[in-house]
Amino acid sequence: MARYILARLWQGLLVVLGVTLVVFVVTRVVGNPVDLMLPLSATAEQRAAFAHQIGLDQPLPIQFARFVGDLVTLDFGESVWQRRPASEVVFERLPNTMLLIAAGLGFALLFALPLGLIAATRPDGPVDRVIVSAGLLGLSMPQFWVGLILITIFAVNLKWLPTSGATTWSHLILPAVTLGLAPLARLTMLTRSAVIDELNKPYVKTARAKGMPARRVLGIHTLRNVLIGVLTLAGWELILALSGYTVVVETVFAWPGLGLTAIQAIQRGDLFLVQAIVFVIAALIVIINLALDLLFKMIDPRIDVR
Amino acid sequence: MLFTRLCLAGALAIGTTAVAMPAQAQEITIAIGSEPSTLDPQLRDDGGERQVNDNIYETLMARTATGELVPGLAEAAPTQIDETTWEFELRDGITFHNGEPFNADAVVASVARIIDPENNSEQMGYLNTISGAEKVDDDTVRITTTGPDPILPSRMYWMKMIPAEYGTSGNIGEEPVGTGPYKFVSWDRGNGIVLEANADYWDGAPQIDKVTYRFVGESGTRLSGLMAGEFDVITNLLPEFVAAVPNAAAVDGLETSVLILGTDNEGPMSDPKVREALNLAIDRDAMVEGLFQGYATVAGGHHINPRAFGFNPDLEPYAYDPDKARELIKEAGAEGKTIRLVGESGRWLKSREQIETVAQYWTEIGLNVEIEVQEFSQYLKSLMGDGPRPDAIFVANSNELMDADRESSFIYHMDGAAASNSDAEMAKMIDDARVTTDVAEREALYHAIFQKGRDLSYTTPLFNLQDIYGMAERMDWQPRTDQKLLIKEMSVSE
Repeated sequence: MARYILARLWQGLLVVLGVTLVVFVVTRVVGNPVDLMLPLSATAEQRAAFAHQIGLDQPLPIQFARFVGDLVTLDFGESVWQRRPASEVVFERLPNTMLLIAAGLGFALLFALPLGLIAATRPDGPVDRVIVSAGLLGLSMPQFWVGLILITIFAVNLKWLPTSGATTWSHLILPAVTLGLAPLARLTMLTRSAVIDELNKPYVKTARAKGMPARRVLGIHTLRNVLIGVLTLAGWELILALSGYTVVVETVFAWPGLGLTAIQAIQRGDLFLVQAIVFVIAALIVIINLALDLLFKMIDPRIDVR
Repeated sequence: MLFTRLCLAGALAIGTTAVAMPAQAQEITIAIGSEPSTLDPQLRDDGGERQVNDNIYETLMARTATGELVPGLAEAAPTQIDETTWEFELRDGITFHNGEPFNADAVVASVARIIDPENNSEQMGYLNTISGAEKVDDDTVRITTTGPDPILPSRMYWMKMIPAEYGTSGNIGEEPVGTGPYKFVSWDRGNGIVLEANADYWDGAPQIDKVTYRFVGESGTRLSGLMAGEFDVITNLLPEFVAAVPNAAAVDGLETSVLILGTDNEGPMSDPKVREALNLAIDRDAMVEGLFQGYATVAGGHHINPRAFGFNPDLEPYAYDPDKARELIKEAGAEGKTIRLVGESGRWLKSREQIETVAQYWTEIGLNVEIEVQEFSQYLKSLMGDGPRPDAIFVANSNELMDADRESSFIYHMDGAAASNSDAEMAKMIDDARVTTDVAEREALYHAIFQKGRDLSYTTPLFNLQDIYGMAERMDWQPRTDQKLLIKEMSVSE
């Protein structure tokens, strides 16, 4: 097992470096980062001096070598935009995004399981149709629109919740719901079809024939078997959210997370911050992937992770 | 008897309540579009940082709300000792928020720090003529320039004064200390900045006691915050939402949009008749109503801000004469020819809409227009790179120093980063105007420059945009043209 973990970590490191290399090259080759970072009124001398100061006048391979060398000490350089260490910015914003994702996916899972179950117990019945339609609706509504509609209804008209920001727990509700809506729909659909599949299996008929109440069948046996599938999708949703799907929600709700910071860094051409964000997120995804695989192995030892 | 007693008791109760009620501390919340990158007032050219720091720091010279240059921390306008030296007398008895005195040492330290090449200040674009400062005595300081610099006083309206000791050794990027009417309290990164009134402010304590800044980039969310009562002031309100907000104020802003025409390009653009036709083809008044709901003014023949020095008030806006335009195009044999119009979307208000509308007008006079809305870094390359000049490129110009030098150097001077002409004569005129110290002569030069620019249609000037702010009903404030968000000028009517 330990060898397996080490092998996965090594592969992960290669993946992270590969991703970082791509970002490294793209940010330097597409457009002129110096033009983006300096105001329009900067003179040619200022641009040259600036390029020299951040090392952009060196050939690409040398820049990358220096970057990798600095990585060993987790030094991502100084954010040109905020004039403080890029790693400081990343680790300041990361917890906000993680909180948002946890709340959003938590909300999604909390409702997806019961909704999927209820829908599956009477497929094509009236309740099922409602749930499936609502699910489709949830999948088709763009987050941007959902966010602004929720703000208009709950914050502006009803004044139950704040419009934006991240200072209290009530600030978390609308962004979490907005983020969690599409995952909720997907997870509900998956739960529903997985439960329907399970309920058609022979062991269920046997259990019912033996007199086990429906609720016990559903609650204990079916759910456990469905859980792996649901958790796999949830893990995928987690990775999806982490790799940038929080950007829209964070922008609409002015939620100071990593997604918003990434967009701002890109717009301002802050190479070092963009690199730092990409690296940290890639590393996080690799680790989460590994953790999920190990978790599934623990839940169901029959799973072969190799 | 009982009735009288009850009345007396009632009167007493009301009386004591009225006396016992404490004065309400006035607190407001302002939502701006972007969080300051740093609170260091000298390093970056960042609008968000200025929106906060303009209340904490001050400058030697200041401007009235209508743009007139007046003394600020200086006692009076400076006197010129010689071609490259200006002497400022400083006001007495002013202290920084941390107790350090405001004196010549502070001015010298402020100047030295901002021009130090080690610090790589982005503001050097506004200040690159300043070579140093020296103390004459505690209240007198001399500032030297690299050459004759008629707008030095205006530059000192831009440069913020930091304390001599704390400014160079303290945590100035995160805990600002200035002389201004508001003191820094806290910065909760990502969430907000809090300032409180400086009771010892030399020009009288301001009315509003506490200010919280919030940073909300999405304009729809900012608007919602205002309408939900969370914000008292919001910036950059879109014209179409003015009717929806409880209170709003608009002011002629600093930005003017303009299309720079590629006068050197082979093909139709090199013909001044074609360029004139391009200008006559546009119904600018219709665009002001249609795109900006009236919250803009048509630029008069050049893109210089009406409040800037050098603005030529005699230049008329181009007329809307599509028939004449069509004629000119036919005469020049340019019918059916293709023009490439380059722009961007998102950085400036309605840039894409302006470009698309103009392209439509140009198509109607017989040209074939190809629109290219580029991603911002690509657009910057098109605007300022060494490649071929686009036939027409959109830009919105801001006149922070309120002087025509930068804008003419940038767009009209043949060596300017965004210019598309090779007019050596005009370049010389601009170079001369930059260093002419005689005010009347300098003004005349600029007027001549812009007259020439209009005669030859080097550009298609569009609109001087208005800045619109949304406010809560209780706020009373007239915003400034120079975009400074000065809380001391705001008041709350409860």
